[in-house]
Amino acid sequence: MAEFTAAVYQNEFLPDGGTDVNAIVTVSCTGAGTAGQTGAGSAGEIIIVDTSGSMGPQTMAAAKQAAQAALAEIVDGTYFAVIAGSDRAMLAYPQVSSGPGMVPMDASSREAASRAIANFHGSGGTAISTWLDLAGTLFASVAEVTQRHAILLTDGENREQPGSLDAAIKRATGYFQCDCRGAGTDWQVDEVRRISQALLGTVDIIPTPDQMQAQFEEIMRASMSRGVADAQLRIWAPQGSQVLFVRQVSPSVEDLTARRTEVNALTGAYPTGAWSDESRDYHVAVRVAAKAIGQEQLAARVQLAVGDQVMAQGLVKATWSGDSGLTARIDQQVAHYTGQTELAAMIQEGLQAKASGDEATATTKLGRAVQLAAETGNDEATSKLRKVVDIDDEKEGTVRLKRAVDKADEMALDTASTKTTRIKK
Amino acid sequence: MSTTTCPACGTAVPPEARFCESCGAALGGAAPAAPTAAEIDELAPISAPTYRTPAAPPPTPVRTCLTCQGPVGEDGYCEVCGAKAPSERDHFREDPAPWVAGVCDRGIRHHRNEDAMALLASATPGERAVLVVLDGVSNSIDSDVGSLAGARAAREALRTPLPRGMGTPEGRSAAVTKVLTDAAVAANEAVIETTDPASSNPASATYAVAVLEGSALAHANIGDSRVYWLPDGAPGRQLSVDDSAAQMQIEAGMSREEAESGPQAHAITRWLGRDAPEIEPRLGALELDAPGWVVVCSDGLWNYASTPEALAAQVTAAGTVVPSELALALVAFANAQGGQDNITVALARFEPAAPATTPTPQEESHG
Repeated sequence: MAEFTAAVYQNEFLPDGGTDVNAIVTVSCTGAGTAGQTGAGSAGEIIIVDTSGSMGPQTMAAAKQAAQAALAEIVDGTYFAVIAGSDRAMLAYPQVSSGPGMVPMDASSREAASRAIANFHGSGGTAISTWLDLAGTLFASVAEVTQRHAILLTDGENREQPGSLDAAIKRATGYFQCDCRGAGTDWQVDEVRRISQALLGTVDIIPTPDQMQAQFEEIMRASMSRGVADAQLRIWAPQGSQVLFVRQVSPSVEDLTARRTEVNALTGAYPTGAWSDESRDYHVAVRVAAKAIGQEQLAARVQLAVGDQVMAQGLVKATWSGDSGLTARIDQQVAHYTGQTELAAMIQEGLQAKASGDEATATTKLGRAVQLAAETGNDEATSKLRKVVDIDDEKEGTVRLKRAVDKADEMALDTASTKTTRIKK
Repeated sequence: MSTTTCPACGTAVPPEARFCESCGAALGGAAPAAPTAAEIDELAPISAPTYRTPAAPPPTPVRTCLTCQGPVGEDGYCEVCGAKAPSERDHFREDPAPWVAGVCDRGIRHHRNEDAMALLASATPGERAVLVVLDGVSNSIDSDVGSLAGARAAREALRTPLPRGMGTPEGRSAAVTKVLTDAAVAANEAVIETTDPASSNPASATYAVAVLEGSALAHANIGDSRVYWLPDGAPGRQLSVDDSAAQMQIEAGMSREEAESGPQAHAITRWLGRDAPEIEPRLGALELDAPGWVVVCSDGLWNYASTPEALAAQVTAAGTVVPSELALALVAFANAQGGQDNITVALARFEPAAPATTPTPQEESHG
């Protein structure tokens, strides 16, 4: 049985008249077990591979190999299906036209699916909304499947009416999770990130075909290790208060604020998806009414709930004090993740400005990103930024845009922008 | 004499010794196991060595938020407004009958509540009430445990009606004196019982008691917790006389205001506890003949309203004749003034059986 713990990092002391309480809550899970093996329903995996005409022979060959390798990682007994996606979605395996659209994994179904993948050939356009919708239909066709996860590989820009993709994302949100990968450099980071963020997955670039298999194996292994099918972060805040924001800040920055669903008038639930043995950090900010010096109150109860059961709770407090030595300190964790959140925003905004030709803004934002990456010790971000800008002064954040930038490096910086590092002890 | 030796230094020690006389090492074996909270509850009044276990709080079945009346969660905070609920030792209320109530509160500045209170009342209004208030001395060890044990012990000693003596006023007075003194002695023993015999700074507490039986009010005090009689719309009186440096200065001619704000204002000259001088409470009695309030309180309240006039003004300002509401209002008043000390207020509402005939109450004796 999975166990959760919650730890709170904050400076609970507010100055006279202070109202805003910030805290980092670390939620850790142990004993998660294996997806679909914990007696709480079955797991379902769907592999979605772009088979549009834009997939070159090399990429297609690598994609087939990667999809087949992913099959090998799916634990026997897990329901699965394979979708070939172009301007429409085709169920490549199991080859049925009605009834359950997923079958349990075993040696023979793995072999049959592998053969179906070997027959992929590229043709047609790219209509990702149809891929997502078919995945949703397949998951729904097997009632036992309660933990739903998909891998989506694409190599190109979505070619659909504006709005169709967003509508499909909306239909899938809260129903299945999806990790997305882009092959090469002809796909749109923004577009694919919209899918992965809404569907509680990750996004990354696979710049060359030879890296594809390892990535697919890793994604599928990670998914199979998530023995807790679904969990919610619940936040109680006192009457009359305002939850300013709720963000996951580790392992990556995901703003959950707008994804609140009401549990009761004072408690909201935010989706967190499935859990393996892992630890995630959340940044919670609550605005409360100021109280007299010496008073203490609870600013938030942060809970991790599986179904209706609260598995762990962290208390975020507020104590008003006249001692500026206490109130002036900013908690190290809060400061660190505030910096990391701004880092993600600066990278994304800087790259957007660069793409639209606004070099001045791009230079300022990416300079600030360099500064923040150095301050918060995010070496991965620093090394990725170095491929896009020449750094004159890391501390001051003075940079120059590189004249010749590898598109893949720029996309890698973009997709990795939300990845955070934990505080260095 | 046993031949047990200290494991640290080898000196022979008595088998029941808890510390080695020679080297001071703790000798674990002889110490009794710490009682659980449930055991202490059963033992009430506390007789276990509670210097190692906090006092069991008085039972208050339903925990509601003191700020918004919402339910208090298992984590100790209100589930509606988030206010921190004080522990059941830091704030508790007793209302044994609709005409008698008390509130014992940590206040704002102190980190724990060393005041204690124990009340008793018959269901019939005016029949019989016992109000006990102890104020644990904050620079002594475990005085929060001692004061609560002492208050409960005194209440037990006063559970039966006061004796009538031989029927004469003198006889009755002597008999009442003995009971009130015995109750103080019982409280003192309970305080000492909770004190670690090795403590260099044993728990100590003040003592103030009022017993109202019909119209007869008897009171006793040691230290500076007080008993007041505040008749409605007539001048009130402080019935107790403090055992304090301030009181001595007042008797020497200093004004009350000056004495009670001086550096020695809170130094008490008598108290309960292992290092207390003889237990001889100051005693008094009064025949009540007008509707009003019997108030027993700690200095956490009277610091902000010392004279009977000032205290009566706060009673009037509270605008309620419900004892539980008035006690809360007086505690809230003291907290609003700064809550520098623990605050305890115990009240009994007196209504004369027949209309009063004389406006001035008659004092019988004053010990």
